[in-house]
Amino acid sequence: MSNSNNVGVKEGISLKPSQGYLEETVTPFTPFLAMEEAARCLLCYNPPCSEGCPADTNPGDFIRAIRFRNFKGAAEIIRSNNILGGVCARVCPYEKTCEGACERSGIDKPIQIGRLQRYITDFEKTTGFQVLDPPPSTKEKVAMIGAGPASLSAAATLAMKGYSVTIFEEKKKAGGVLSYGIVPARLPQYVVDEEIEYVTNLGVEIKLNTKVGKDITLDEIRNQGYKAILLGAGMQISRTLDVPGLDLEGVTTAVEYLGKARSNDKDFNPGKNVVVIGGGDVALDCATTARLKDAESVTVLYRRTREEAPANRQELEYTESLGINFAFTLSPAVFEGENGKLTTIKANGTRNKSAMKLEADTVVFAIGQQPEDFSKVVEGIGLDKNNFVTSLENGKTNIPDIFVAGDIDLDSIKTVVNSVQGGKIAAKSIEEYLTKAGRKQASCSPMHPKGGK
Amino acid sequence: MAKHADLSIDFLGFKCENPFFLSSSPVSGTYEMCAKFLEAGGGGVFYKTLTTTIPEECSPRFDVQRKEATPFISFKNMEQTSDKPYQDNLDAMKKLKENYPNKLIIGSIMGMDEDNWEEMARDYTALGIDMLELNFSCPQMTYEGMGSDVGASVELIDKYVRAARRGSNLPLIAKMTPNIEKMEIPARAAINAGAQAISTINTIKAITGMDFDHFTALPVVNGKSSISGLSGKATKPIALRFITNMAQDSELKDIPLSGIGGIETWEDAAEFIMAGASNVQFTTSVMQYGYRIVEDMISGLSIYLAEKGFDKLEDFVGIALKNIIPADDIERDFKILPQINYDKCVNCGRCYISCFDAAHQAIEWDNKNRKPTIDENKCVGCQLCLQVCPVYDCITPGKVLFKEEDQFGMGSKTKWKDNAVNKHDVIVGKYDRP
Repeated sequence: MSNSNNVGVKEGISLKPSQGYLEETVTPFTPFLAMEEAARCLLCYNPPCSEGCPADTNPGDFIRAIRFRNFKGAAEIIRSNNILGGVCARVCPYEKTCEGACERSGIDKPIQIGRLQRYITDFEKTTGFQVLDPPPSTKEKVAMIGAGPASLSAAATLAMKGYSVTIFEEKKKAGGVLSYGIVPARLPQYVVDEEIEYVTNLGVEIKLNTKVGKDITLDEIRNQGYKAILLGAGMQISRTLDVPGLDLEGVTTAVEYLGKARSNDKDFNPGKNVVVIGGGDVALDCATTARLKDAESVTVLYRRTREEAPANRQELEYTESLGINFAFTLSPAVFEGENGKLTTIKANGTRNKSAMKLEADTVVFAIGQQPEDFSKVVEGIGLDKNNFVTSLENGKTNIPDIFVAGDIDLDSIKTVVNSVQGGKIAAKSIEEYLTKAGRKQASCSPMHPKGGK
Repeated sequence: MAKHADLSIDFLGFKCENPFFLSSSPVSGTYEMCAKFLEAGGGGVFYKTLTTTIPEECSPRFDVQRKEATPFISFKNMEQTSDKPYQDNLDAMKKLKENYPNKLIIGSIMGMDEDNWEEMARDYTALGIDMLELNFSCPQMTYEGMGSDVGASVELIDKYVRAARRGSNLPLIAKMTPNIEKMEIPARAAINAGAQAISTINTIKAITGMDFDHFTALPVVNGKSSISGLSGKATKPIALRFITNMAQDSELKDIPLSGIGGIETWEDAAEFIMAGASNVQFTTSVMQYGYRIVEDMISGLSIYLAEKGFDKLEDFVGIALKNIIPADDIERDFKILPQINYDKCVNCGRCYISCFDAAHQAIEWDNKNRKPTIDENKCVGCQLCLQVCPVYDCITPGKVLFKEEDQFGMGSKTKWKDNAVNKHDVIVGKYDRP
């Protein structure tokens, strides 16, 4: 195999025009390359990369472990801090977190921390090294709503402390955004499935096809003896713009488009001329999906400039390298169609009087998401106008036995890695709450049984 | 968490928490330094060697040997014994033992004459520390009759061990110099004179490089330089050889050994323990990376031993010794041919160059397709190609061929046959000569 088709767009990517939709884009490190990369690490004092990780995955320590050939120790550091270590290794916005903090940038370019993390989590799996052994579950039952990153992280944390955790998931697959909202080229399903299995091997039960509020009510959950409940339902609703023609066939949203592509690989119709609206990572995932699913032309329409787009730079360059068009400082003005089907998008300049007309049979809104309305499911829960839960602190809500973590938490940063951390923090609050409640119960219960009958 | 083996191990009657120690050097020169290492998890310290007269030091005093992009692979230093007042150092050792009673605290001595050795041994013993190391091995002392001069002289060793013994009832560890052909001879002398253990190696007399403007060795001190002690990763192979020699020596084989020389990782440490050391000491890696390296040593070794099923570290000590045999006892009946995985090959031709220029011209090179092919008849199975290949797992051991009967001494004319023996068997030693 020749590496001559390696193009330096994104580290580790060998661009293949024939890349399949399910094929992971970034190639893994070999042991030689992992060591070479770890040897580039400056082994800084008080490593800023570790401070840069929202989930405390501690890259400073695990890279050092690699450098000193303690590969299994590196796996321990990652897995014991971040139950979704393999997922985060692939989807983290490194340039804003660990790699963004890397002092090696002062010499040339940051250490490829994500790829090293992936090397170790792959190594952990291929060697069958088991980092976490769950203790027997002897403590209270905890329920969680939604099997996305926040719940999985909270569940693993609590299971390791001996709590018995059940996650209720409305869909037929666990993983939430991991299974439905990211292009497999960036995050293959097997990685998601393996990490979910890791969580279930810790004794966590996941009840699929069970929508809380429909298949089971919150009170029923409480009555089944669950002493605390975590709301980790993520953001299920894509925002759209109020554009004429919104109801034409062919107008869809990121949640729908990515979800269908991922779960229904064969029957999914990507569209022929696809326009994606948005400038974040989700928009790029939609565009990549369309491209890898063989749409003829794909255009990303974004209302601000390339520099202002929140998307990861490397992902942006990679998306461009796939031959996807970008049109900046444009916003859709009207969708036109024939026989109820989308045919044309007209867009106007957001900063000048430019105008653009695009042939399109599919348009995907990827301009942000928000949670479902949980006001009926969890009565009395504090919500803002966009259905985000207004948490107090550390994942507590206005209802004592209800906790929140992940994207649905108003104050959270909407990334997988932040949801992992949110889950860990909420788990700690749940533990504190249950310990306190347990103590209270113990001190209230009489020393001697009442009555003598 | 995954299973971790207990790393505690006995050394001369002291139950060490783990086998990782600072060697007597600049990294163990104050209370604060040693305390920081012990807090990081270290099992104990060999406090920096003292002399009753404080030596004069030069500046600069270090040089390093690099190879391509690798931060130094060896390190040369010209430092001598502690430059701090004798009493301050004694106080530091005393305080270390008081504050860290479960850690092994060893003081290192270098006397000038018999009286001085005895007197220092007495001073140290009064501190309540656990053991004494007798430094017979520093190669850059500016006083004659000290350091490695002693380690090369059976007479001086005998005299000074006895002197130290007169001054102390503590266990004595003789630290030996590698600047000698047969270390067993002075080591036996130390044991016969009353030492209980051997630690080695101290640094190797060396010059790391020359200065191209001042025409001297490095580091340059006022236009001049000296031969002095080399340490670091590059010295590990030499150190492992000496430890193996000690452990296999008929008179020394039951004597506890403390291994030193280029230890950076848990694997390095494990290698010394396999070769017979009960514990290891290190300095150069700490100079480069800090005390924190001990965390990965503890983690890595404890996971490895647990996975290999060792209940205690003692069972691992010297486990390789029975498999390190004289060269004339090595099996020479077969050759293992390398095999090239063409899916991984990047067509660089490095295997071809090395085989043609430095081995047996057994690789053919198809220049059009940039493809190497191994000629099984010419290949002797030296596996140089495997060592130089830059791609992981591209060239690996392949088919095993055996010499046909009565082929002794035929060399390149030897005829080979395929006995259908598994390559794994001949690597792990399951193959018995018919």
